[in-house]
Amino acid sequence: MRLPAGPYLLLLPAAVALAGVSIYPLFYGVRASLTRYLYGRDYGYTGLTNYKNAIHDTFFQDAMVTTAKFVICTVTIETLLGLGLAVLVSRELRGSGLIRVGLILPMTIAPVVVGVMWRLILDSGVGVTDPLFQLLGLPAPEMLAHNGTAFIAVVMVDVWEWTPLIFLILLAGLQSLPQEPLEAALVDGAGRVRLFFDHTLPLLTPVLLVAIVLRTIDAIGTFDQIYVLTKGGPGTATRLISLHAYNTAFLFTQYGQAAAMLIMLLAAVTILMVVAVRMMRRVAR
Amino acid sequence: MRARLPRIGLYAALMAILVIVIFPFWWMVDTSLKHPVDIFGGVTLYPHSPTGDNYRRLFDTYHFGSYLVNSVVVVTVSVVVSLTIGTIAAYSLARFQLRWGLNQSALVVALLVRMIPGILLVIPLYITLAHWSLLNTRLGLILIYTGLNTSFVIWMMQSFIAEIPRDIEEAAMVDGDSRLTALWRVVVPLAAPGLAATAIFSVIVTYNDFLIALSLTSTPKAQTVPVGVSTLIGKIQIEFGPMAAAGVIGALPIIIFALIVQRHFVRGLTLGAVK
Repeated sequence: MRLPAGPYLLLLPAAVALAGVSIYPLFYGVRASLTRYLYGRDYGYTGLTNYKNAIHDTFFQDAMVTTAKFVICTVTIETLLGLGLAVLVSRELRGSGLIRVGLILPMTIAPVVVGVMWRLILDSGVGVTDPLFQLLGLPAPEMLAHNGTAFIAVVMVDVWEWTPLIFLILLAGLQSLPQEPLEAALVDGAGRVRLFFDHTLPLLTPVLLVAIVLRTIDAIGTFDQIYVLTKGGPGTATRLISLHAYNTAFLFTQYGQAAAMLIMLLAAVTILMVVAVRMMRRVAR
Repeated sequence: MRARLPRIGLYAALMAILVIVIFPFWWMVDTSLKHPVDIFGGVTLYPHSPTGDNYRRLFDTYHFGSYLVNSVVVVTVSVVVSLTIGTIAAYSLARFQLRWGLNQSALVVALLVRMIPGILLVIPLYITLAHWSLLNTRLGLILIYTGLNTSFVIWMMQSFIAEIPRDIEEAAMVDGDSRLTALWRVVVPLAAPGLAATAIFSVIVTYNDFLIALSLTSTPKAQTVPVGVSTLIGKIQIEFGPMAAAGVIGALPIIIFALIVQRHFVRGLTLGAVK
């Protein structure tokens, strides 16, 4: 290579683009979290006030608890369902190609559209669920109108949308497992259930963990579907941290306090992301 | 016989799952083709007197034409730019031994940028764009999506290019090509399937984005399709018919793209961890 700087020059445009959406906004975010804003206007440095206010804000605490509940419920259900489905389909079944294509659809379309589809199903005025319950002689649940059922509804929609991801990842993982040890164990007389827990699951664990961590990071940031389904309501029943931060910033123009919340959240997410990167590189190898 | 019965049960379960997956799509299409009276008139599983009214109103009264144009412009420009600069960077990472451990660390940085949840970015980005007077412009959205897509392109293309043998481009360079013309004439055509999959994934993710577009735009001048869909949900009243129609238009191109890349789907969604 005549020009030793050549390879580095090739990286430059991409590096600028990446810095523009990561380091630069992060710098601005930290600065905003230390700034006092009134009606959206910058009133200068204010120390850690925004952080203190955020921590003492009961809505912030509620939103954190709701987010934790949401993430735990969705990721657990999705993992169990996805694993079950993958084990079912991994045995050569006719029509499993069709299932694969069908299951791709929910996670490809815009989450906003997912929200629209389920609003059309769950809404008391035009939906399907209320008439269905009445048909069975039960009272109409009006799912989006009550706290408990609204939370169940947003979890359910997330499960509908993202179980396929876990399923597809695990299916790919299962199909790449070496077959010989499994067959040897079968010959030795191991039962199918024993075989699964003793052999398949341990081999599948690295891929499973990647799926769980990626899904957890995404679930923490869930916004679009809930914005369309409930806007965080009724009351604060489905107000995740993302919706609370969005409202704080864009409805109440408290940019500083919103930035402080998000930087605290970023700290938590960063740990998860570092874990994810390590695990992914081990699996990819 | 002992084996056949569970197998029937298995197929029944899979059929049930397919119905659960497909029904919401059908119900949205169904609703989008109904008159308002029929939408509120109880459950009918197909439109008894189908109408295109909802679609017409979407474009006549709800600015859907400009949302579509904005989406197409923003997606096209940002994906083309990020594919170009991302592929060049990926080539450098795949082919040269760089200093300071850049080969590895640059990939990790790209991956981290890709994973950051959007909500963590929008407030600083809002302040930044306000600073540059780029709020509510297509250019503002293009710049942001270009950056986010570039991270994905670097990550995907690095592994695709690394799979191409070096000898071929070195032969081209012996024949008089420079690095960049060899990249363009030899590597890019060989990496074309990977490049196409990466492009389609970028298109899907960018077209679907809601939170960034919602926060940084405010009028049909720059708002994209997903934001347009959400504007139909008013404080008091929801326009269910047009909303369903908007959902159909929002989903259709993406479904077509997804079917094209379904082979690469797992690789794309797990950011290459699982192939």
